[in-house]
Amino acid sequence: MKLGEIIERYQCTVYTKENFQPEKELNYGFCSDLMSDALMIMNTVRQENILKNSMLITGLATNQSIRTAEMLDVQVVVLVRGKIPANQVIELANESGITLIGTELTMFNLSGALYSMGIKGITSRK
Amino acid sequence: MEYYKHFDIVPHDFDLAGAMSSEVKRTLKRFGFGFDFIKRVSVAAYEAEINIVIHSFGGYADFRIQNNRCYLQFIDIGPGIPDIPLAMTPGYSTASEESQLNGFGAGMGLINIQKSADEMSLISDPNGTVLKLKFFITEDSYHAGS
Repeated sequence: MKLGEIIERYQCTVYTKENFQPEKELNYGFCSDLMSDALMIMNTVRQENILKNSMLITGLATNQSIRTAEMLDVQVVVLVRGKIPANQVIELANESGITLIGTELTMFNLSGALYSMGIKGITSRK
Repeated sequence: MEYYKHFDIVPHDFDLAGAMSSEVKRTLKRFGFGFDFIKRVSVAAYEAEINIVIHSFGGYADFRIQNNRCYLQFIDIGPGIPDIPLAMTPGYSTASEESQLNGFGAGMGLINIQKSADEMSLISDPNGTVLKLKFFITEDSYHAGS
């Protein structure tokens, strides 16, 4: 699914205008408010193209969501439940080349909608 | 290839947390390492950096590349890990509510570090903790899926 299509379909706000690529293809997602869990599970992924085409869906609107995505080479962070990031979070996202978007939808509803559109979940590899 | 850098890590500063790991990651990228090697080193660095931010009275990190090894050393000035085997148990955490509000404290950090590094040593007493990590640099470290 294209980033632009996700934004349009789920009425997302784009916070990082600098790196915005509407044509970017996203095929995988992972959702958590706990960055520890995101780091643990997404760290088991060995294929570069999976993480590069993933989005991190979270209600955590702090620098640490951006840092976590950066460490994992995930390029899109989606804030759910209408969380509004502080300016410093947006600045860090711009600086790290992360696209930060947000939606009013809850984590479950956004994830379910994306799943039904064919977005796959990241699975922990033993 | 040789490289060395020292970083101070500020306790309880969740805005700065991750700055050191971010620089480590950018440095490894600049040296042309592959995706998986960079990810393993950066995730381990980030977890260890976060541990110092969350738990310690302050500390520092040394990042070194030498003799086909990549070393990360984290030293803090206390209060120490009272029971290392317990701290290494998946899900066990003593992180504060503040840490949890910042998305940490799931009790998986040390395990993730151990899984990421090729070698890990951890010693701790009330005066501080020393965590040493080693990553072997091989031909594979430069390939994407290694």
